[in-house]
Amino acid sequence: MSLLGKYFKGWRFRDTTPSLEKGDVIEVFVAESNSATEGHVYVGDTHLIVEGAGPETVEKRVRVRVTEFDESSSTGRGEFLEVVGESSYTS
Amino acid sequence: MSTDNGGSSESDPSESFVQGTDDDEPRISFYGGRGMSAFPIAFFIVWAIVQTAFWRISDEGGLVVGILLGLIFGMFFVRGDWKTYANTIFEGMTQPVAVTAIVAWIWAGMFAQLLQDGGFVDGLVWLADAGGIGAALFPAVTFVLSALFTTGIGTGYGSAIAFVTLFFPAGLLLGANPVLLFGAILSGSIFGDNLAPVSDTTIVSAVTQDSDIGGVVASRFKYVIVAAVVALAGYLVAGQFMGGLGIGGNARQILIAESEPIGLIHLLSMGVVIGTAVAGRHIVEAISWGIVVAAVSGLALGLLSLGDIVMFNAPTDAPLGESLEFLPILTVVEDPDAVGVGGSLINGAAGFFELAILVLLIIAAAQIMIRGGAFQAILDWSIDNLATNVRNAELTMVGSAALINAVITINTAAEVAIGPYISKIGERFNLNGYRRANILDGQTAALGYIFPWSGGVLAGYSAMQELPGEYDWFTADMLVTPIDVVPFVFQGWLLVAVFVIAALTGFGREYIIDRESEEVARV
Repeated sequence: MSLLGKYFKGWRFRDTTPSLEKGDVIEVFVAESNSATEGHVYVGDTHLIVEGAGPETVEKRVRVRVTEFDESSSTGRGEFLEVVGESSYTS
Repeated sequence: MSTDNGGSSESDPSESFVQGTDDDEPRISFYGGRGMSAFPIAFFIVWAIVQTAFWRISDEGGLVVGILLGLIFGMFFVRGDWKTYANTIFEGMTQPVAVTAIVAWIWAGMFAQLLQDGGFVDGLVWLADAGGIGAALFPAVTFVLSALFTTGIGTGYGSAIAFVTLFFPAGLLLGANPVLLFGAILSGSIFGDNLAPVSDTTIVSAVTQDSDIGGVVASRFKYVIVAAVVALAGYLVAGQFMGGLGIGGNARQILIAESEPIGLIHLLSMGVVIGTAVAGRHIVEAISWGIVVAAVSGLALGLLSLGDIVMFNAPTDAPLGESLEFLPILTVVEDPDAVGVGGSLINGAAGFFELAILVLLIIAAAQIMIRGGAFQAILDWSIDNLATNVRNAELTMVGSAALINAVITINTAAEVAIGPYISKIGERFNLNGYRRANILDGQTAALGYIFPWSGGVLAGYSAMQELPGEYDWFTADMLVTPIDVVPFVFQGWLLVAVFVIAALTGFGREYIIDRESEEVARV
């Protein structure tokens, strides 16, 4: 991105519920996990249930493939691919 | 130092410096429950409020003692072996966040001092004088020049002192309103403290939110400039209606005495740092280029001598002292107390030494709180009661950062303490590092210059108290009482307002899926 481009990136009003599409591969933080096999990801108020993201992935950045997404309720499901990063502060 | 770390046969270094665990259980258990792991930080915050707000002692050394005592007293509440507690202190201090910030500060400190010693403010004084500005416009122009200066040198405290010393008396003579003028100076400090890549708070906001400093600067431009345009309009309008003291006298005399157009060359040094940092170069590289440009141009144009940059003051009995005194960087001094190394580089770097120790200890105490479970407890409570959706999460981030900065005078220390909380709340909603860093630093910069106990106000006010001794016409009743300036720090109030509106409307909001912040340049 150009120098000027960096200054003018993000001059917009961003929705609280960003939409995703089936097949998207995204890198996101897992917020919580209340079972051994499912994790919860929030991108703003968009809620994604990620299969395969167990408690060991909580507060880690993971790569997820979106498998279902309902635009009207801003919810969906995804498939855990791999852990790609840590939180700024590791607990 | 703990003997557990040094050489005994059962000591395992990896045990002492564990970087993260996957277990959810707190590793340190406290009498009185996990909340007690917040004791060192809580003790420090109370100490900081009493010392800096109630007793007006803005001394980082005192804060170091506060956090040290907090860490010592906290240990008495630990159940079982105290070794884990001691090791956690080391674990916190060795986190990259701390060292990255410290290294960047030391570089920034050297650069800032070179600009100050190299007559940057004199260049700006010339600009103000050459413009032939009148009383009504003077506060607005002061705001712009103070903002420019602080964006170059990064330290808002230093800028508040320089501008109160030079622009404040000149403005008074011109007939500008003193309260408005002081507010404009502080507003300029906020602008630069928030936006400069060499500002200590900018650096902390970036490294605690795992983002590159150049990217953070570019992404926060939108919030800063919106607030600044309104603030500028405010100073223009208020300048028309708020009258001065009618002292008379010749303001130009003060300005001309300190006016040096060639000092404006440092706009180039400043541009080099901002340009290279935003272009994505490592912050150490960016500031190093700035140091080179500032030193070379300062030397070439006669603004600085080699001895101003670094000077060895040797005692009379030094074996090679007098024989090498012809060197421009060596002087032999009679006074034993004058022996030492001086100059812009050491003075600039040394300004951050105490803060560096303080930050290492605060991060250690934060790690105790994380390992002991209090941090998680506060986070869980916030998520259940405050940050229930992304909008509320952002408002919580704005509110918590504003609150801690409003009560702790030294805003960098406050920012380091709240950094992990902002990070965790933001990561939960996948807000990207730039957005988190901008929310954090907006409040840090703004609230550090508004209240009578804020570090920036104290710095400016202490410089102002020197003025009656400096000028015959300057009487004690011309001093601005810090409480009076509170409503006139337009940039501060507007910056907080911009972030509240940004949280409510989504202005500037970016998720990790929109853009990942580039990785912070680790050292």
